[in-house]
Amino acid sequence: MEKQTQPFSQRLFRALVRVLPFDFRTNYQGEMEGVFREQRREVEEHGGILEAAKLWKETIVGIFSTAPREHWQILTSDCAYAARVMRRNRGFTLMAVLTLALGIGANTAIFSVVHAVLLRPLPYPAGQQLIFVRQHEKQIGVEDLRFSVKEIQDYRAQNRTLSGLVEFHAMSFTLFGHGDPERVRTGVVSYNYFDLFGVKPLLGRTFLPDDDKLGAPPVLLLSYEYWKNNFGSDPQIVGKTFEMNDKVHTVVGILPSVPQYPNENDVYMPTSACPFRSNKMHLESRDMRMMEVFGRMKPGVSTGQANADMATIAAGLKSSYPKSYPDNVGFTSSAAPLLEELTGKARPTLLLLLAAAAFVLLIACANVANMTLSRMVQRERELAVRTALGAGRSRLLRQLLTESSLLAVVGGLLGLLFTYASIQLLTEFVARMTPRAREIHIDSGVLLFTVAATLGTSIIFGTLSALFSRANVAVSLKEGSAGSGTGRRQDRLRSTLIVSQVAFSFMLLIGAGLMLRSLFKLQQVDAGIMPQRVLTMRTDFNWSKYDDDEKTRLVVQKLLDRVRTEPGVLTAAISSRYPFEPEIITAGAAAVSFNFQIEGRQLRPGEAPPMSTYAAVSPDYFKSLGIPLKAGRLFADTDTPAFKAPDVVIINEAARHQLWPNEDPIGKRISADGGQHWAQIVGIVGDVREFGLDHPPSPEFYGQQAQGPQPAALVVRTATEPQSMSRALTRAVHDVDPQTAVTHILSLEQARYESLASPRVTSSLLGIFAGLALAIATAGIGGIMALMVNQRVREIGIRIALGARPRSILQMILGKGLLLAALGVAIGIAGAIAMTGLVKSLLFEVPPTDLVTFGAVGLTLFVAAALASLLPARRAAAVDPNVALRAE
Amino acid sequence: MSPKKETESFLPLTPAMFHILLALADGEKHGYAILKEVARRTDDKVRLSAGTLYGNLARLESAGLIAESSRRPEVVLDDERRRYYLLTGFGREVAVAEAQRMEEALVQARAKKLFRKPKLA
Repeated sequence: MEKQTQPFSQRLFRALVRVLPFDFRTNYQGEMEGVFREQRREVEEHGGILEAAKLWKETIVGIFSTAPREHWQILTSDCAYAARVMRRNRGFTLMAVLTLALGIGANTAIFSVVHAVLLRPLPYPAGQQLIFVRQHEKQIGVEDLRFSVKEIQDYRAQNRTLSGLVEFHAMSFTLFGHGDPERVRTGVVSYNYFDLFGVKPLLGRTFLPDDDKLGAPPVLLLSYEYWKNNFGSDPQIVGKTFEMNDKVHTVVGILPSVPQYPNENDVYMPTSACPFRSNKMHLESRDMRMMEVFGRMKPGVSTGQANADMATIAAGLKSSYPKSYPDNVGFTSSAAPLLEELTGKARPTLLLLLAAAAFVLLIACANVANMTLSRMVQRERELAVRTALGAGRSRLLRQLLTESSLLAVVGGLLGLLFTYASIQLLTEFVARMTPRAREIHIDSGVLLFTVAATLGTSIIFGTLSALFSRANVAVSLKEGSAGSGTGRRQDRLRSTLIVSQVAFSFMLLIGAGLMLRSLFKLQQVDAGIMPQRVLTMRTDFNWSKYDDDEKTRLVVQKLLDRVRTEPGVLTAAISSRYPFEPEIITAGAAAVSFNFQIEGRQLRPGEAPPMSTYAAVSPDYFKSLGIPLKAGRLFADTDTPAFKAPDVVIINEAARHQLWPNEDPIGKRISADGGQHWAQIVGIVGDVREFGLDHPPSPEFYGQQAQGPQPAALVVRTATEPQSMSRALTRAVHDVDPQTAVTHILSLEQARYESLASPRVTSSLLGIFAGLALAIATAGIGGIMALMVNQRVREIGIRIALGARPRSILQMILGKGLLLAALGVAIGIAGAIAMTGLVKSLLFEVPPTDLVTFGAVGLTLFVAAALASLLPARRAAAVDPNVALRAE
Repeated sequence: MSPKKETESFLPLTPAMFHILLALADGEKHGYAILKEVARRTDDKVRLSAGTLYGNLARLESAGLIAESSRRPEVVLDDERRRYYLLTGFGREVAVAEAQRMEEALVQARAKKLFRKPKLA
C-alpha cells in the first residue's frame, strides 16, 4: 500500500540508495529517505525547477561518492580479518591454497592450449575465410588424394566461390653456400600464397607473378626462425645467393614470425623453382598428384557453398577425363575450414584433458568447502559472538565470501605460476597433434579465464560453506553448542560433498586407467620387427647429381659397401622409408600408397582397383629389421638391371590375405602403370606395423631398390648400442659423397617409443590429474571421518559404556567411510558410462567400459577409503567412556 | 596512542566533517537539522546531500566523535525514523583541535601580511 502512494521521486531515491552496502542501508536508509523527503518538500515550496535539478544532482553525486568508500572500507576490514584468520590456521590455509592452486593451475594450463588451438581464430586477416580443399577416393579409403598441376589449374579456373586458390607442397632440399650442406625444409608455393594468407614480409618482398613463370630466376623466402637461427637475423641477407638443386637462388625476403601451415618450413620457393613440380611429367599428367590446395572464400560465401562448388568441379572433371577418374573409386572433392583441418586431430585429446582438469577443480572446490565446513564448527562461537555484537547475517556471509575469495585469489596466483612452469612442456606435447602449438602462450584471454576460474571457485566453495553457516549461526547461540539438527544437516552436506568427490575421482581414474591400459596394450603390440640395435638415418643425396637411376644405383651400392666395412655393422640397407619414421607417420599411409592391377584379373563393375603402400628397399632390409620371410625368397643382389633380371616385388601377409586369399601369389605379376611394366611377386614376408602400433597391418609391396632407386634412409643393424655408431656412420656417408645431408639419426627403438608419445603424454597428464583427485578425495574422507568421530565421542563413549565392543565401533566407522565411497563409486560408474564418448576415439583395443579398469579403479577407491577411515575408526574404538562422558 | 596523538590523527578534518561537528556543538540534532544548519551557517557554501551526510555521520560515529542520543523529543514532534546525534567528549576535542589548527594557520597568514594588499615600493 505505502509503496504505491509514494511519489516516483521517492522510489527513485530508494533505488539509488541500493548501491550502498547492505549494512549501511540497514542503519541509515530510513533516515536518508526522511532527509530527502524534507529537502524535496522545501524545493517544491520555495524553489523552482532549477533548484530541483540541483537537489537531484547533489543527491546522486553524494550517493555515488559515498558508496565506493563504504564498500572499500568493509572490504579492507574483511580482508584484514580474513588474513588474520588465515595466519592463525596455517595448516588449513596451506592445504586449501595448494588444492585450489593445483585445480586452477591445471585448468589454466589446459585452457591456454584449448584457447590457442581450438578457440582463437587463425592469426590471419579474415582467417575464417580460409579453407583447405581435398580430393578423395572414398570407396577405396583414400581421404586425401592431393592435386596435380592440371587439376589445380581446373579448380582455379572453374570455381565460383573463391577469391583465391593456392597450392603448397613440402620438399626437402640441400642448401649449399652456407657452411656444411644443409637439408632445408622447403615449402613450394604459388606466387600469391602469402597474399592469400595475408602475410606481409618482414624484409624484402614475397613472390611476384613473374617468379612463378617457368624458367624464371629462382628466388627464396626465408622463414623468420631460419633467418634468426642460421643467419643471426642479418638484415643484409636480402639479395644474397645460395646454391640449391644445382641452381643459384636469390633471397628476396624474410617472412615475419607467423605460424606456418600446414607445416613449418625453413625456406619457401615459387612452384617454378621446384625441379619436380616443374618437370614435364608433373606439368602434363593429370595423375601426378602431390600438391595441397588452400583457398580463400569470397566474402559472404559459406563453407557449405564452397564445399558444393568443389564437388561440382570434381563431377565435371570426372565426366571430362574418365580415364583419370575411374567410376568405382568414389572420386569427389570437398572444402573444410582451415581451422578445423589444422586442429581436428588434437580436438578429442584436448577436450578430454579440459574435462579432466575441470573435474580436478570441482573436486578441489568440494574439498576446500569441506575443510571450510569443518573449520566452521570451530568458528561457530566466533561467528555467534559476532552476530551477538550486531553483525547482520549478510555481513557475516560477506565476511565468509571475502575469506573464500582471498583463499581462491592466492590459489589462483599460485596456479598461474604452475601454468607458467608447465606451458613449455605442454606446447611440445601439443606440437605432435597440431601446427598451432606454437601459438600457445599466456595472454589476456587466458588470464581472464584464470580470473573467472578463481572467482567461480570462490563463489562455489564460499557459497557452499556460507550455506551451512547461515543455517548454523542462527541457532548456535540459542542452543549453546552445535545442535543435533544442525549437526545432521551439516553431516549430510559434508557427506554429499565427499560422495561427489569420490564420484569425480572415479571418473578421472577411469579415464586415466583406460588410457594406461590402452597404452600398455599398444606397447605389447608385436610390430613385426626386431627394433633392438637398429640405427636409422635420413640420407638425402644432392639429387641433382644423381639424376638418373643408373647414377643413383651406383651411389647406393657404393654407400652400402662403405657402410659394411665399418666395424660393428652387422647388416645395412637403403630404403625409401622405415617403420615408425616420424615424418611418414605424420604424412600417413596414403602418402606412400599406389594403385595397381593384377595380371589376368578383371575388375568387376564398381570394384575399386587394389591399393597398397609401397617401399623401395635393398636386399638386406628384411634382415636388418628382423622381418621374417614367410614364403618364397627375399631380394637377391642379382635382381638388378645389370643382370637383366625381371622386376620383382615382395608382399606382406596382409596383402596375401586380402588379394590372394585362396591361391599362392608367388609368381603372380602386378603392374602400376597400366600394363607397360610388370613385376613378379617372389616372396612373402611378415606384416609390419609401419605407421604406428595402433594401425593394423595393411597390404604392403616392397620393390627392389636397385630396380627403381628411391634412397632416403639408411637402416643398419649393429653389434653394439646403435647410437654409439652414429658418428662413424655419418662419416661413412660423407666419405661416399660429402654433399649428402644426414639427419634424423634415430635408433628404431627410439622411433617406436616416439610413435607412442602422444598417448603416453595424454595418459601421464590424465594420470597426474587422477592421482591428484584420488589424493584429495582420500584426504577428504579421512577428514570427514575424523570430524565425525570427534563430534560423536560422547555417543561412542555411551555405546562402549553400554557394552559395545571396540571392534563393532571400528566396523561402524569403517562402514560409514566405505558407504560414502560406495555411493561415490556408484555415481561415478554412471558418470563414466555417460562420458565414454569423450575417450572412445583415443583408446586402442580397450572398450570404454572395460571391466578390468572399472573393477581396479573401484577397488582402489575402496582401499583408499578404508585406509583413510582406519585412523579415525581406531581412535573411535579406543575412546575411554569415562573421559568421553566427563568431557561434556 | 596518547590522547593528543589520537586527536591529531583525525586532522585535518574535511569541511563537511568539521561543520557537522560544529552543528552538534550546541546540542543534539537529527540529520536534516544538521544539514540545514550547515547550509545556513556557511551560506550554502557547504551543501550536504543525504548520501554525503550519512556517509560522514557513519564515519564520525564509528570513530567515536559523535554518538546516537537516547533522548527523544516529545512524541508529537518525533518522527520515528529520526535519530538524534550528539557530540562526544572526544568529538569536541577533535573539533577544538581542528579549530586551533585553523587559527594557527590564520595567525601565520596574518604575520605574513597575507590579508593586506602589498604596497608598491
